Amino acid sequence: MSDSTTVTPDPAPAAGSGDHPSRMPSRTRRRRRAGRIGQVHPLVALLWLAPALALILGVVLYPAIKLFDASRGEYSITGLRKGDAGWDNYVNVLQHPDLGTVLRNTVVWVVAVVAITIVLSLALAQFLVKSFPGRRFVRWAVIIPWAASLVITSQLFVLLYDYNYGIINHVLLSLHVIGTPIDFLGDDSWTMFSMVVVGVFVSLPFTIFVFIAGLGAIPDDVMEAATVDGASPWQRYWNITLPLMRPALMIATVLNVIYVFNSFPIIYTLNDRNPGYAHDTTITFMYKLAFKSQEHDVGMSAAAGIFNVLLILVVVGIYLKIINWREETSR
Amino acid sequence: MRSTKKSVVVAGLAIAGLALGACGGGTGAGTAPGGTAGATGEEAKTIKLVAAEYSKDHTKAFWDAFAKTYNEKTGYTLEVQVVSWDNIDQQSSTMIQNNQAPDILNLNAYASYAKDGLLYDSDAVLPAVAKDDILDTFVKYGTYQGKFYGFPDLSSARAFFYNKTIFKQAGITAPPKTWAELEADAQKITALGGGKVGYALPLGPEEAQGEFSMWMFNNGGDWKTDGNWVINSDKNVQTLDFLKKLADEKVTQNNPARTNRADAFDLFKSGAAGMVVGFSPLAADLDKDKKVDYGVAPFPTMDGSESKTLGVTDYLMAFKKPGNEKAVKAFYNLYYTPDQVNTFIKAEGFLPVTESGVKYFSNEKALTVYLNTLPNAKLTPTDDPAWDKVKLAVQQNLGGAMNGSPKATLDGLQRTAESVG
Repeated sequence: MSDSTTVTPDPAPAAGSGDHPSRMPSRTRRRRRAGRIGQVHPLVALLWLAPALALILGVVLYPAIKLFDASRGEYSITGLRKGDAGWDNYVNVLQHPDLGTVLRNTVVWVVAVVAITIVLSLALAQFLVKSFPGRRFVRWAVIIPWAASLVITSQLFVLLYDYNYGIINHVLLSLHVIGTPIDFLGDDSWTMFSMVVVGVFVSLPFTIFVFIAGLGAIPDDVMEAATVDGASPWQRYWNITLPLMRPALMIATVLNVIYVFNSFPIIYTLNDRNPGYAHDTTITFMYKLAFKSQEHDVGMSAAAGIFNVLLILVVVGIYLKIINWREETSR
Repeated sequence: MRSTKKSVVVAGLAIAGLALGACGGGTGAGTAPGGTAGATGEEAKTIKLVAAEYSKDHTKAFWDAFAKTYNEKTGYTLEVQVVSWDNIDQQSSTMIQNNQAPDILNLNAYASYAKDGLLYDSDAVLPAVAKDDILDTFVKYGTYQGKFYGFPDLSSARAFFYNKTIFKQAGITAPPKTWAELEADAQKITALGGGKVGYALPLGPEEAQGEFSMWMFNNGGDWKTDGNWVINSDKNVQTLDFLKKLADEKVTQNNPARTNRADAFDLFKSGAAGMVVGFSPLAADLDKDKKVDYGVAPFPTMDGSESKTLGVTDYLMAFKKPGNEKAVKAFYNLYYTPDQVNTFIKAEGFLPVTESGVKYFSNEKALTVYLNTLPNAKLTPTDDPAWDKVKLAVQQNLGGAMNGSPKATLDGLQRTAESVG
């Protein structure tokens, strides 16, 4: 479960927008052949859609139905289904004493990681589009945190953060920045910060590359025109680069929100020493409900899973709505 | 612009959907009948074992060799799936949800499974010879409602480990016999400075119940007495108060509430900790590293009375599936032959579960200290299905006492225990 919910960002969806122009010519050709505009025989259409439909039914719909089914069941600690629970599991999730903490953590986690990632990536992408000796090497280096498994990265940070042997504490102590080591993962006031750092670290590569692509798509003549008109670098950035980066920013934000929201290994690994739910997000909360907590209840966890999906859909929906609204009002 | 946005929405929905789907894969319930044995009542020729991985080197090797012997001797086939301890709970739960329980499952709990009516008891599948050979303690804790379901595969007993070099530096001549001595020794060790830790106290979620049991038993306390939960008894509050005192005096490692057992072992292995509760696999690691000169002693008691130890055993439980009875019985028949069970235990560095095993290991000097305590070891109440949940509650909540009130923490656990069982 952990692996698939937190796949590292794949650029394919972002590239999807580029498919439209290439599809256009073939469609016009077919139109001409069919005689009527925009129509093929429904069976032919179905044939072409079959693989995609099968995939959606098998990989998305079927498990979703199963999940819903599980959320309505009453389960023993062993996993045995004992009967139907109606909406009890949902009620139990909503009445869970730690739900407030978990939701607050989720908001802090998603907002902090996405916001810091976007700001840092904008700066780093700007740097990486400039040509300088060794640029290719630096670009490759940036990909590494993306290529490494999240569990491995998280485990690595556990070692870096360690109270007794961690290199971060070692360096800070040697530089006399601190007098006693910091318990990055065990001290409640540090734990979320430490996790956000890792979250940003692994989200940077994808975001940077989206922004590099976005910067590359800005026509040079627009920039030249602005320079000729005497715009300062800051004006050029604010009035030309950023507005033209809008699609890239939007893609990066929406995808990052989803990935970060669904991120399991980072929080699970860095937080495994801490009892209770003090630093869990809704995703690790869901896992702990099923396997680690005293509830140990698959049904309740499935109900929490349904809430998770609804939550992320609502968040993305609201975000897109806001973007639309801004676009409309700016005209 | 417009198409970009549309594709973003589509991508978003698709990914959210995939995430949903992935979760479904882990937790989705199945109602379809299935399973390796088939549902027709025919005799199963192939059975499946899901085994926990005690060590990378030995577990799989042993079970593969076992499956080969099993096939040669009985004609049945044994499919072996070795799963890491991190995952086994999750995997077994998913298998049972999907009606694909293995025939034999190796886990650290059994009572909930027996309660759900999923298991064979000893009358059905355990050869009488094997049952007679299993130590009485384990038969007792493997019995749920008068029937023996929890067949032990191996056991361990905890003991008190101390670093002889550190003890010498701190001027301590003998391992402590009472808690007062332990506290004084821990203070002396911590006073050495240089990051030395007096007593490594792991109360993190990994195995808080194990550490606390050890202290609890050596103050005359228990989880249950006469069938009633007594988690918040005066004795137990006194015990947890003492642990909090150690933590407050800073003679333990930093943040004991957030330290897992593995981390405490690491401190001891690196020579930073003076004392820790360990067991034979820790000793094996220490012997391999040859870095720490350590001693093993009985755990000190509150008042200097006779020391008690926490025994832990894992189980090989047999799932009721049509037609698999004979093959499963043949499995136990072979597993409990001294050759097999003791080979496994020896390779993994644990302790025997049978009387013949105790004899077999009696000439192993390193194990004497554990073997002597084993027949009288106290176990956690694994025979009560409620314990399976109480254990999780203890893991998630016990550490809270280090920054709060031990009494309130134990009261909370007592309430949890009474409400689930």
